[in-house]
Amino acid sequence: MAEEGQVIGIHSIDAWKEQLEKGVQTGKLIVVDFTASWCGPCRFIAPILAEIAKKTPEVTFLKVDVDELNPISEEWRVEAMPTFLFLKGGREVDRVVGAKKEDLQNAITKHATITAAA
Amino acid sequence: MAVSGFEGFEKRLELHFFGDDPAMFPLGLRKLDFESLEQVLEAVQCTVVSAVGNSYFDAYVLSESSLFVYPTKIIIKTCGTTQLLKSIIPLIHYAHHLGLTLSFCRYTRGSFIFPKAQPFPHTSFKDEVSYLQDTIPPNLCFRKASIMPSKSSSHSWHVFTATSHVPYDHHHDNELLFTMEICMTELDPILARKFFRRAEDGKSGDSAGKEMTEVTGINEINPEALICDFAFDPCGYSMNGMDGDWYSTIHVTPEDGFSYASFECVGSVSDNMGHVLRKVVQIFRPGTMSISTTCNGYTNDMWTQVATAVEPLGLKCRSRAMDQFPAAGSVVFQTFSARRKSV
Repeated sequence: MAEEGQVIGIHSIDAWKEQLEKGVQTGKLIVVDFTASWCGPCRFIAPILAEIAKKTPEVTFLKVDVDELNPISEEWRVEAMPTFLFLKGGREVDRVVGAKKEDLQNAITKHATITAAA
Repeated sequence: MAVSGFEGFEKRLELHFFGDDPAMFPLGLRKLDFESLEQVLEAVQCTVVSAVGNSYFDAYVLSESSLFVYPTKIIIKTCGTTQLLKSIIPLIHYAHHLGLTLSFCRYTRGSFIFPKAQPFPHTSFKDEVSYLQDTIPPNLCFRKASIMPSKSSSHSWHVFTATSHVPYDHHHDNELLFTMEICMTELDPILARKFFRRAEDGKSGDSAGKEMTEVTGINEINPEALICDFAFDPCGYSMNGMDGDWYSTIHVTPEDGFSYASFECVGSVSDNMGHVLRKVVQIFRPGTMSISTTCNGYTNDMWTQVATAVEPLGLKCRSRAMDQFPAAGSVVFQTFSARRKSV
């Protein structure tokens, strides 16, 4: 699949719903990076997330701009940036608030492993 | 006192900018790309370990303390042997590229525990002031440097301010705001131990930091705040709190012999700071504590409020000094020490 190993930019509610449904069907872990153009810490973590995505093709990585798709960030109560939301089967299983590279990597490893085992 | 150890006392720099191009706002300095920020921090000799932003500002935990970036304001606070003042030239340079010009500068610090370990320009306050005088653009023509004393020669508050016009800030016309900088030494050794990590705990600095925030009660200082925290290995702790457009920050060097903790926050004079001060004292139980409040207007209440909150907790006010600075407002510097000791 072409999207594997990349962070997929989401630009519409439809695209968001489609990715979520796909996640429910495949049982894959989805990691959503809630970001904003005006947020310095988001620019700090973006290349780190891209690197992780490259190494972790078994996880779907999405990127949502909170200004572009405000209803989604409101639905998931995103108040600080970046917020990384971990979804499995359409439900939140974890979240990392802030550009915390070690925590982000650890949470991805943890939940991706659980997915693989299940 | 140990012959040599880590310098906990931070240097703190606050810079305000203005711009004529309204298209630059409300983003301003938050548009600085990360490479530019890294260059600034490289000049200071520290790095970013963790960061978070909200709709008002970005908060960075650094390898040596903290950085806050607002659209037209930067606050950078660094400990150890960092060369904080070297950030001024690159910051002015990058801000200029964003159409922003420096209009106000405030530099503050306490008294170093290990002054001889400091590199230039932090070798003495005199050196710092002459570096500032030479580095700051001439349009910031209202300048003042002052050392505010206490009864103990080892605790003074160093302040330098420069501004392009008086007054500089009309953003909060009716609200008196203050910045409170607390420096604590001789921490209670049992409480300080909570800022040590267990060897090979297998945790990330982020998750170990989160644990310290909870175990020590730091999360109860302002339960509304979003906290970005980090625990260093083998010891030491930093956190930034965000509550709307107000920040708070704590840094801890827990080693015996040169233990140090700082707490800093901004607030409104009309708020009661009693709860915050009591929590801070209870978390660290310092032998000596200095509290400096900088207020953009004239107020009498702050210092009595501060002393009233702190004194019932076994600390006694030993000295109080006050000074006025152009555009920065009034600075009150108070020192306290445990009643069991005489200073």
